[in-house]
Amino acid sequence: MRVLMFGWEFPPHIAGGLGTACYGLTKGLAQNGVDVTFVMPKASGDEEKDFLKIISADNVVIDSRYSEFYSLNKDVSFIEVNSKLVPYIGMDDYFNVVNQMESGVFETWREGIQRKYNFSGGYGPNLMQEIERYAMVAAEIARQEEFDIIHAHDWLTYKAGIAAKQVSGKPLVVHIHATEFDRSSEGHRNSIVYGIEHYGMNSADMVCAVSDLTRNIVIEKYGVPAERVVTLHNAVEPKTTTVVRKKNVKEKIVTFLGRVTFQKGPEYFVETAKKVLEKDDNVRFVLAGDGDIMQQVITRVAELGIADKFHFTGFLRGSDIDQMFGMSDVYVMPSISEPFGISPLEAMRAGVPVVISKQSGVSEVLKYAIKVDFWDIDATADAIYGLLHYPSLTKMLSENGKAEVDNLKWESVAAKLKRIYESVLKK
Amino acid sequence: MKRNICFHFQISQPCRLKTYRFFDIGLHHDYFDEYQNHYLANRLAERCYLPANKMFLDLINNNDNIYLSYSISGTSIRLFQEHCPEIIESFKALIATGKVELTGSTYTHSIAALHDKKTFVEQVKLQEKILKETFGVTPTTFCNTELIYSDEIGEWLNELGYKTILTEGAKHILGWKSPGYLYCNPFQTDLKLLLRNYTLCDDITLRFSDKGWEHYPLTSEKYISFLKSLPADAPFVNLYFDYETIGEYNTKESGIFDFFRCMFTTISNSGDFRFITPNQAEDIEKECELSVSTMHAPWPISSAGDEKDTSEWTGNELQQEAFEQLFKLEPLYSDSKNETAKQNWLDMQAADHFAFMSTKWLSKSSVRRNFDVYPSPYQAFINYMNVLNDIKIELEKNTKKAAPAGKSK
Repeated sequence: MRVLMFGWEFPPHIAGGLGTACYGLTKGLAQNGVDVTFVMPKASGDEEKDFLKIISADNVVIDSRYSEFYSLNKDVSFIEVNSKLVPYIGMDDYFNVVNQMESGVFETWREGIQRKYNFSGGYGPNLMQEIERYAMVAAEIARQEEFDIIHAHDWLTYKAGIAAKQVSGKPLVVHIHATEFDRSSEGHRNSIVYGIEHYGMNSADMVCAVSDLTRNIVIEKYGVPAERVVTLHNAVEPKTTTVVRKKNVKEKIVTFLGRVTFQKGPEYFVETAKKVLEKDDNVRFVLAGDGDIMQQVITRVAELGIADKFHFTGFLRGSDIDQMFGMSDVYVMPSISEPFGISPLEAMRAGVPVVISKQSGVSEVLKYAIKVDFWDIDATADAIYGLLHYPSLTKMLSENGKAEVDNLKWESVAAKLKRIYESVLKK
Repeated sequence: MKRNICFHFQISQPCRLKTYRFFDIGLHHDYFDEYQNHYLANRLAERCYLPANKMFLDLINNNDNIYLSYSISGTSIRLFQEHCPEIIESFKALIATGKVELTGSTYTHSIAALHDKKTFVEQVKLQEKILKETFGVTPTTFCNTELIYSDEIGEWLNELGYKTILTEGAKHILGWKSPGYLYCNPFQTDLKLLLRNYTLCDDITLRFSDKGWEHYPLTSEKYISFLKSLPADAPFVNLYFDYETIGEYNTKESGIFDFFRCMFTTISNSGDFRFITPNQAEDIEKECELSVSTMHAPWPISSAGDEKDTSEWTGNELQQEAFEQLFKLEPLYSDSKNETAKQNWLDMQAADHFAFMSTKWLSKSSVRRNFDVYPSPYQAFINYMNVLNDIKIELEKNTKKAAPAGKSK
């Protein structure tokens, strides 16, 4: 079986969780004997290629003689979007992304009727144009490549997936890592993004959602019939390096790590910290990350008068994250809405006990985690206090949690996905 | 020879804890969820205790050979006195028939037997006191919390004057032997053991309402045929239930009341069985010259789960820490003058608190979990430890030793 998969990014150059998930999933599929052709807007050439074939869209020659191209081209609508729109991307910080990545779609090469397009593969202001161009290239790829089924990750690639389906007549599976309902709060939703999501999900032969939580959103908010939506939980890649436990302060450390945006609930983390600090002086709270409500959060910390015990690290990456986990005694994820949420798994893998909100997809797969409602700061504070003061609880969650996470393997997720493919192909 | 059938019902409603946060420690000491206690006492009274007591009273009045026995924990008695005194009255009426034996048990459905003799004996004595005060009864049979028993526990009880003990017919102890014979403690051979036939009990408690079960629907005829198919030479059939089996685990609509009424009437009229209470076992032994074999239980057994051991309450690290921290306070209890804190410490020994911390995920389905209010074992543990920490402070404050020194003014 061969899958034509459309993604937006792939390690090592990633801005967030989507690329990591694509990596794990494609590797897992390879282990299950499924071949993957992975298409992305702009490959850097240093991707790991030994288990899949990578096509970079900016290398594809488009022959405009084909009628499909014209029909697609006609539909292409370039929509200028406000650059403040934050399209999905994991825990990373959008603002950095915008600054780091140049964007724009333009022809790079032209010979008669043939041409190539440049892609940034980023999340910049010309995102909508890139999405349209990506779809045109997808149609061309679908004509050239041999495959049995199409798989498209998140709304950025839905148009590409649909184009490939139209050209080839092969079934389409779309994969929901996040929806517009997770990305933004009531009243701030982007109707264009919602429109593309709705179009993609309803054009697909099967929709995979990363959690039951997301599956319900797909069914309720996008009107996809329940029998066409399956839950496919994420897994986590085994860690090659071990996190060293090392702490330079005598106090216990409680950590929040993620984008400082409304959806991640950093404000609840601050209120919880206040509750705990009132009773227990021997603890420090660390908020690692950056984001659009940072100012608000800092102001609130000052207001509550806990700044001496509440620390901001700014945006962390790579080994800094490992070091942060290495010094943490408790990890807290108070997300208001989290389709999956891979970071608690990374904390658990480092042996850090976690307190996570029930409103996260990851809570569906974990037993050795304390689950609370994000809004219930008393319960969250109580869980943190328990983990700081009752050693058997910490020990149990740390040891069993690590074992639990080590058992969440992409290989078994991919095995389930393979069965989903087979069921779609049988139809 | 008629086979002896011994029905025993256990009532052990715990004092339920309410959510008690760490920031409540030292601030207030209202640990118990009075609303839940009141609600559940009344719900159970309405669904189970009152109608079941009435049913058995009618059965006893209409048939002169029906006998049965109960154990009612001290905590339950206190809860009933406070929230639903008519339950106490209806038990008094049953006891007044002379056909109902009230057995001894622990005062707070405690797992103290797993800790040491001193705390266990304290529990037994407090229970004897409340039984005497409430019902005017002095028990000679003992039914420990969840049938927990070991050779050593047997010896302690023998010392306290108990003659018969109800415990589990645990397979890993009995091996090929049947629970239908009379057994005794290996060191105190006068101490008789009546072992529960748990398969027959689970048929009712767990499977009566299970539509997927092959014997569904279970009729009294069918059940009596199960009883009759037991080895013919085994003189006892011991059936011990949580009383909530009638009306709560199996609702009135399932037909559980009719089932029991019909079964009791049929057995009463048949020539194959006779009802007994546990304290009659000794007479029957003499009368029928029964042989009694010893049963060795070097480690505690119980009625819990499939394992029939004590892992339901002390199986994981959380339970072990809670257990250790709880019984560490025993010296404070002995010295304290704070009667409320002392009572609270006793209530914290209830097996239910520990069962909520169990991480045997599959056992979540067991019937006791009906009353589980915690989202996870971790939260149950945290809540328990918060309360325990406050009780510790309260006990320390009022110890006799600390009192003279006091806080200098």
